Amino acid sequence: MAIIKASNLVKKYKNPEEKLKTFNAVDGVSLSIKTGDIFGILGPNGAGKTSTLEMLEGLKDIDEGSALINSIDVTNNPYEIKKIIGVQLQANEYFDNMTLTELLKLFIALYSSSNDPLELLKRVKLQDKANANANELSGGQKQRFSIASALVNNPLVLFLDEPTTGLDPQAKRNIWDLILELNGAGMTIVLTTHNMEEAEFLCHRIAIMDYGKIIAEDSPKNLIMKHAPNKIREIKYGNMEDVFIALTGHGLRD
Amino acid sequence: MLRKPQLYLTKVFIQIFLRNKQYIFFSLLLPVVILGIVGLNDGERDPVDIGLVDYSNSNISKEFIEKLSNNALFNINQSDEVNLRNKLIKGELTLILVLPNDMGNTNKTTNIKLLADKSQINFIEAIKPIINQTLISVEREISEKIPMFSLEIKDIKSRTQTYLDFLLPGIMAFMLMNLSIAGSGFNVVEFRRRGILKRLFVTPIKPIDFVSAIVIARMVIVLGQLSIIFSFAFFFLDVNIVGSISHLFFVIMLSVLMFLTLGFSIGSLAKTQESVGVIASIFIYPQIVMSGVFFPIETLPEFIQPFSEILPLSIVADAMRSISSDGLSFLAVYKNMIGISIWIVIGTFVSTKLFVWKEVAG
Repeated sequence: MAIIKASNLVKKYKNPEEKLKTFNAVDGVSLSIKTGDIFGILGPNGAGKTSTLEMLEGLKDIDEGSALINSIDVTNNPYEIKKIIGVQLQANEYFDNMTLTELLKLFIALYSSSNDPLELLKRVKLQDKANANANELSGGQKQRFSIASALVNNPLVLFLDEPTTGLDPQAKRNIWDLILELNGAGMTIVLTTHNMEEAEFLCHRIAIMDYGKIIAEDSPKNLIMKHAPNKIREIKYGNMEDVFIALTGHGLRD
Repeated sequence: MLRKPQLYLTKVFIQIFLRNKQYIFFSLLLPVVILGIVGLNDGERDPVDIGLVDYSNSNISKEFIEKLSNNALFNINQSDEVNLRNKLIKGELTLILVLPNDMGNTNKTTNIKLLADKSQINFIEAIKPIINQTLISVEREISEKIPMFSLEIKDIKSRTQTYLDFLLPGIMAFMLMNLSIAGSGFNVVEFRRRGILKRLFVTPIKPIDFVSAIVIARMVIVLGQLSIIFSFAFFFLDVNIVGSISHLFFVIMLSVLMFLTLGFSIGSLAKTQESVGVIASIFIYPQIVMSGVFFPIETLPEFIQPFSEILPLSIVADAMRSISSDGLSFLAVYKNMIGISIWIVIGTFVSTKLFVWKEVAG
């Protein structure tokens, strides 16, 4: 059963060069994400991944199209949506001079939830840092804390926006294990990434976006079968990076 | 009306503020120092240092010197001319009076020389009448004339008012403006820049809950800070509060609300941390000069006065002064209350129109 259904999502922004014109950062994206899946959205910078995610999260207005999460309409009931989803944003800064426990207590209060901050910290292996401030954490610890703060309301769907960007291999593996663990407990996870290895390793299904559109969607294996260059397909040993480059080209993006 | 998440957020805002010890210290230091300097000086001027050379050594010169010495405005320093000239150049003296050796001679006009630095010319114009007056009274005593006129100055307000009493309400108004603007505009822009606002709006909290939490928290903080300044002035500097303190605090609370909404407007106008500083400066600095906090509005050029009177800070400072110094009730300053209300409406309108919450999140 699909827990997220989005059809023809459009997000318009002002054109930075010509103020009066708009362009579609997200241009008719339709998604159907199954309960219990890890769904990856891949794409170069500026492809519209974050905008798509933020429309689903109710953080940005949906300019055209519609989205349902657990049969609740995002546009009509953004606050109901926010109660059932967990979100980890790209930027993860918090109030100064507050400990992790205090920050989690704040989020728990904002959701009127009854979770225990220490339990949440244990889930992301940060119990030792309970009394540390968020700005004292390393990159990997910060990401884990972000995920902990996204779990306070026991969400049905967890959105992760580039959860491992900028992390060292150990921290990256650590986050992957955490994601698999949460998914193992039944949570649907939607993530964006640039990291092909990550997409291949974690995701059940992948949508590749470019210029605001989904240009391919399938399981990692099928994508490799379909799009990786011939000689690699023959030995059945292609990877997602080959798929990505084959689909989006070699040109550099900002 | 207040729900638990909102209250919790309010508590967190107060907590964050209380933990910023440095900021608390400096926000209290400035007003305490200003009030302290004015208060310890007792509102009176230091005596003017005058050098005096007496070449005549006559009875008349001695009498003149004695009269001048009795005047609390002057501190007489009698010595030889070379020594005093050196002191004048060094800036230890404001002026030197040279009494010539023919001062005892009543048959002709005695020319008393006044030596001074040109830079002090304005100041000397102010002192000259007092010296003239002293000379005239010495002259009268010698010629045994009774003065025809005498001028007696009476305080119309019939209570002892010092500059400090004038200054305190203004300083408090100024302080509440700064604290409120910093607490709303600056905070919001900073939270937005760092993505903290976006993180908050991932949760089911509504913008109105967020705004009311900030408003309540700031209200508590500003009232606390003003109470400290107020107690300091009251217990250590002996200021006179004629009016009702509860009325004063009622005005303060409305004023905090006014400056918070104006601060939110500034925060909405400004897209970046730099521009919020610029816009806030444009809002704050002219008001320091033009709103009668440190000097009465009447001393400003006439064409600026009507404009000055409608500035938010002028309205607040005037209302607070009327209550604390003149003992009026908040009903008596209804014009100011209307003014504050109009500014609250303007601030609320501008900030809700301009503050795009969806954009904040994005």
